[in-house]
Amino acid sequence: MARSVIPIGPWHPLQEEPEFFSLTVDGETVVDIDVSIGYNHRGIEKLSERKSFDQSSFVIERICGICSTSHPFAYTRAVEDIIPVEVPDRAKYIRTIVAELERIHSHLLWFGLAGHFLGYNTVYHWVWKLREEILDVCEILTGNRNNYAIFKPGGVRRDFKPDDFPLVLKKIDGIIPTLNRLKKAVLDDPVLHARLKGIGILTKEEAIDYCALGPTSRASGVARDVRKDAPYGAYDRIDWDMIVTENGDVFDKVVVRVLEVYESIKIIKACIRDLPGGEIDLNIKDIPPGEGIGAHEAPRGETFHYVRSDGTNRPARHKVRAPTFMNLPTYKATVIGETISDATIILAAIDPCYCCTERMAVRDVKGKKMYGGQDLVRLSQEKTAKIKREMGIP
Amino acid sequence: MMTREEVLKDLKVRFKEDIVDLFDKSPKRVYVEIRPEAIVKVGTYIFKDLQARFNVASGVDARTHMEILYHFSLEYINLLISVRVKLDRKAPAIDSLATVFKGANWIEREMNELLGIKFRGHPDMRRLLLADEWPEGVYPLRADYREWDVNAVRDRGV
Amino acid sequence: MKLPKARELVEAIKALITGPYTSKFPYKPHVPYSSFRGQPKYDPDKCVGCLACEQVCPVEAIGHQDVTEGDEPKRIMFHYTDTCIFCGTCELACIADNQGIKLSNDWELSFFDRKAESFETIEKELQLCEMCGEVIACKDHLRWIVERIGELAFSSPTLYYSKLRELGVVDENIVSALRDSGRSDRFKILCARCRRETTLTTK
Repeated sequence: MARSVIPIGPWHPLQEEPEFFSLTVDGETVVDIDVSIGYNHRGIEKLSERKSFDQSSFVIERICGICSTSHPFAYTRAVEDIIPVEVPDRAKYIRTIVAELERIHSHLLWFGLAGHFLGYNTVYHWVWKLREEILDVCEILTGNRNNYAIFKPGGVRRDFKPDDFPLVLKKIDGIIPTLNRLKKAVLDDPVLHARLKGIGILTKEEAIDYCALGPTSRASGVARDVRKDAPYGAYDRIDWDMIVTENGDVFDKVVVRVLEVYESIKIIKACIRDLPGGEIDLNIKDIPPGEGIGAHEAPRGETFHYVRSDGTNRPARHKVRAPTFMNLPTYKATVIGETISDATIILAAIDPCYCCTERMAVRDVKGKKMYGGQDLVRLSQEKTAKIKREMGIP
Repeated sequence: MMTREEVLKDLKVRFKEDIVDLFDKSPKRVYVEIRPEAIVKVGTYIFKDLQARFNVASGVDARTHMEILYHFSLEYINLLISVRVKLDRKAPAIDSLATVFKGANWIEREMNELLGIKFRGHPDMRRLLLADEWPEGVYPLRADYREWDVNAVRDRGV
Repeated sequence: MKLPKARELVEAIKALITGPYTSKFPYKPHVPYSSFRGQPKYDPDKCVGCLACEQVCPVEAIGHQDVTEGDEPKRIMFHYTDTCIFCGTCELACIADNQGIKLSNDWELSFFDRKAESFETIEKELQLCEMCGEVIACKDHLRWIVERIGELAFSSPTLYYSKLRELGVVDENIVSALRDSGRSDRFKILCARCRRETTLTTK
């Protein structure tokens, strides 16, 4: 049987970030996959050696639009680890609130995209409508929907005013009924069960061997979460649960993310209720020579920053590692053996954020029959329609 | 499940002639320096026997030598062990850990093209980040890479 | 699931009744929340021209130009709108009680002519050395220092003469009366080098 290579990307119209997958297929089954990423390499590690510690937190924020809290959080923890020093309690709670708000809006974004890949465009629009409420909350509290500019080595830059909290709580409580309806609609739907269960399985041994992180590994039964293993911020003072499921297929990844949204809402409400008073900033003036490591559980996994200082006011080396960097190689284990129509949903299941991974490359393509990105999504939506017809659902 | 002190004592005893320095910085951070020849032994032991998770490896261009730090997380005791190796700056080379666990594959490709460190025995050494047209032998993350300062454009008044 | 269940119908009916969720911009103006971080604006009365905002700006969106020729030396502060990232560090670093430059709520900032409209300026009066013409600081900045340090201002003639000049206590009459005996230089506002020369040497 002739093999052909199908390219997806680099300008994949549905996933907003550029990437290039070349899938080698044998008829309908995928036999090999190669990922070339790196269209977004901006040289941020070298750039942050030119800015002072305080200024480079703004560059770090703009590594990724969706995980705009994770990178500065890990960076400021790394710089504080050089000294080492603990920030005031109020700063810890404020940081936790912003981090959990970002987790909710990132999971809702992914939820909408997954609905679109499967052909449920209504879910896509409803979930993104919900997400607007969360972005309004971010604007009320920090001043902007996206790049919050609130992290600083030594604390936070701005304070939260207690007058804003009633409106914030009203908006957060307002999304819970719709979220409940969507959760039940997704988890009970037999079409989705047929479509997503048993697809793209990542076994527990492979998750450990590839060092996968975040919901990708928690869906495979590997209970890893930086917030529980190495607590920081306000996570050790609030009661919340880590969601772990066993099967490792795409359905479990959906379940983990949806349930994590509920946990985040619980954490935000507890933080607002228990917010202590006091200082918000330590006013650190000098960073002594040394090394520091900071980690934070982003919506996609663990973000890891390593900072080395040589006594001046600029970092000597800053290493950024986003969670998608460790999750992307798992494609070799999950996609091979599946059909083309499932390829898009499996590739989207690890919630890739390529801006965080900072890579770039260009590749050649061989083969006669080529599907583009649009075609693959259309194939995925057609498969859902076929399953619906088989089950007798209109 | 060993405690933190047992882990450190075990490392010191087992790799007595390979460890150059062990810096116990704080309850959660330990920095161990070893000789470059022993990296596969130490890496395999920490990953498989201590059941650590491999985080990432940071390559650093200290001006007199090259360094690589391999960060491993032991989640059950909340400890992060960073294994440091110092390499010669003219021709840095070290054995690859990609055959031991697959998580090290991509990061070694990245360090190879950005800093110029060779990894012996890596199964698939290709370009990861840089374009195919990028010239060979030019390593952007090294401290003596200055071309981007020369070509930078500022188009502003004052 | 032959027909949509009741729970989905509830959501659909609610959406039908409330109408589209999107706002009617640009037919109706969009007013952001009061804590929205918009365009930074200078306050000419409060700004002292100390250049602290220029030094801390992470993207170098603030610059200045000192005009020393002519009758009225002045310092022009520029804020480049197209480079600004609206982070608020300039506001936090401003020494005049965070009021010299403040982030407003403006977000409609597009312009057609980049050379003419992409920046905002204010002008502050500049104090030059009365002997050699070097730039010392803005007049408001010297007055700000005098107010803060109280009686310690008398340690530096530059500082207390700025204040006395403003109050009108020392003026040209006093200076000209001592002109011939060479002591008039002591009553001028001088830069550090000229101050050392007049105090330590006799000319």
